[in-house]
Amino acid sequence: MARPRQAAIAGVYTTKQGKLPDRTSFSLQLEAIKGACDDAGIPVEEVDGIIPLSMSDHLPGTTATQFWAAQLGERPLGLMETGGASGALAKAALAIENGMCEVVVLFYGKAGSLVGPRGTAAADKAPRVPDWSFYQAGAYMTTWYALWAQRYMHEFGATHADLAEVAVFTRYHATLNPNSIMGRKGEITVEDVLDSRPICEPLNLLDCSLDNDGGYAIVMTSAERARSARSKPVWVLGGAESTYTDFYTTINDPWFPEEGKAVRRAANRAFEISGIGRDEIDVAGLYDCFTITTIRDLEEMGFCKLGEGAEYVKEGHCRLGGSMPTNTDGGLLSNSHAGDPAGMHTIEVVRQLRGECGERQVPNARIGVSLQQGWAVHGMAGVLVMAAD
Amino acid sequence: MTYRKPLPQIEPANTTFWEGLAAGEFRVPKCDNCGHYNWVPFPACRSCLNEAQTWTPVSRDATVWSFSVVHRGPGAFNEEVPYAVVLAKLAEEPRGCIVIGNTVGIDPADLYVGMPLRIVFEEIPDEDVTVYRFAAAGAPDSVVRESDDADAALSVENQPATVA
Repeated sequence: MARPRQAAIAGVYTTKQGKLPDRTSFSLQLEAIKGACDDAGIPVEEVDGIIPLSMSDHLPGTTATQFWAAQLGERPLGLMETGGASGALAKAALAIENGMCEVVVLFYGKAGSLVGPRGTAAADKAPRVPDWSFYQAGAYMTTWYALWAQRYMHEFGATHADLAEVAVFTRYHATLNPNSIMGRKGEITVEDVLDSRPICEPLNLLDCSLDNDGGYAIVMTSAERARSARSKPVWVLGGAESTYTDFYTTINDPWFPEEGKAVRRAANRAFEISGIGRDEIDVAGLYDCFTITTIRDLEEMGFCKLGEGAEYVKEGHCRLGGSMPTNTDGGLLSNSHAGDPAGMHTIEVVRQLRGECGERQVPNARIGVSLQQGWAVHGMAGVLVMAAD
Repeated sequence: MTYRKPLPQIEPANTTFWEGLAAGEFRVPKCDNCGHYNWVPFPACRSCLNEAQTWTPVSRDATVWSFSVVHRGPGAFNEEVPYAVVLAKLAEEPRGCIVIGNTVGIDPADLYVGMPLRIVFEEIPDEDVTVYRFAAAGAPDSVVRESDDADAALSVENQPATVA
C-alpha cells in the first residue's frame, strides 16, 4: 500500500540549455532557484533548506552551503546537501515530513566549462595528480563507461548495436521536446550511432551524452503548502540512495554481480518504502550518461534481469507508447547534460506527472520514478518514486 | 621531449610503491592477517579491516580484464591517440587486483579480454618517478631507455610489439 502523501515537489525549472557564452554558473543557479520557487508560487525568502549539487558556486574558503546561506540572505537554513539528486530529494522529503525544514530547493547551474576531454588543456609540464588517479592513464568519464561496456559485452554477449538502440529511442523522444538540444537534428538509426566517430571504443560519439551549459532547480515542500502552491503538486512516495565504491579507483570482480550494487539497493529500498511495484511505473527517468548506462540501469532497477537490458530496450518498453516510456525529454544523450544533470530526470518525470509534456506526454501518467547515479559507474545512486495524486 | 601527461603526486604513505617501480617491482599491500591483496591500497585490509599490511612484490603477470581504445584524449594525451587504457587483473589471489594503466608495445587493435600481460617499467626523463605499463606477456621487464633520449622513449609507446 502506498504511503500517505506528506511532501511534494511543488516547483521545477530549467534554464535554457546549450552553449550559453553570455551566462555564468552563478546566474544560472540563481535563475533556477528563482524560477522553481516562482513555479511553486513560494517566495525565495521562504526557502529554509538547500541542496546545492556538485560544482555549485561558492566563494574561495567557504563551502557551497555556507556561500548560498549567505547569498540567500544569511538566514539559518537546513543542511540538505548530501547525496545525488534523487537520493537527496528522498531525504529532503523525510526532513520535511519530520519538521526539519519546510521548503527545500535543489539546484544546479554551469556555464563556460566542459566536463569532457575538450575541457582539459594540454599542460607544458606533467601535472601532478593523486597516486592512483586514472588521469595518469589518460582515462576520463567516457573511458570508464567504455571499460564497463567492454566488460559487459564480453560477459553477456551484447553488441555495440544493442547499446545503440538506447541512443535511437532517446533521440526520438528529443524530437518531441522543443527545448531539447538535439531534437531539431531529427531521428537517428542504429547505423548512425555505429558510424559516428569513435571516442573511447566501444563507445562512439552518439553513445555519449552532451556536454553543454545549463541550470535547473526543484522545490519540495510539505503537503499542506503543496496543496496551495501555484503548480500541481507531484507527491513523493519514497526514495533511497546507496553508494558502494570510491571515486573510480577500486574495481571488484565481478563488476556485474547477480545481487546488484548501489542502484539495486537504492531501487529495492525506494520501491519498498513507497509501496509501489515495478510494474506500476508509468514513466521513468533513468540516468543515461552513455548508452551502456541505461541498459545497466534497467537491469539494476529490476525492470529486467541481469544481461537482458538490451533485449528489454529492443522490445520497445522504453519508447513512448511502450510499457514504461523512459527519458521522454531526450535524456542526457539528446536533451541536455550540463555537467551534473542529476536532477534533470526528476524534473521530466514531474512534468509528465503534471501532464505538461505536449507531444511527448505519456497518457494518464500517474506514477513515475527517477534514478540518478554517478561518481563511479553506478557508484552512487538515488531513486525517487513519485505520484500525480 | 618533455613528458606532459599527468604523474603521481606521491603521498608519503605510498612511497614504497613508487620506489618499488624504480627498483623493478610492483608492490601491492598484502594483509598480515588474512593474506588478501588490496588494490588500490587502503589504510586497512578491505576483507578483514586489519591495519597491518605488507607491501609485497607480485609476479607482474596479468590479463586484460577490460580495455578501451581512446580516440579523444584529455590534455597531452590527445596528441597520442589512439591509445589503449586497460583494466588488468593481476595473477595474484585471493582478491584479484584490478589495475588501470596504459599499454606499451601493443597495437591497440590486438587487445582482447583475457590477453596475457606483463607489468613493465618506464622511467620518466627529468621527473622523479618511474611508472608502470602493461606489455604483452614475454616482453622485456623494462622500457627504460639506456640513454636519456627522451624522444626515442616517447616514440616507443606508439610502436608495434616487436619494438618493445
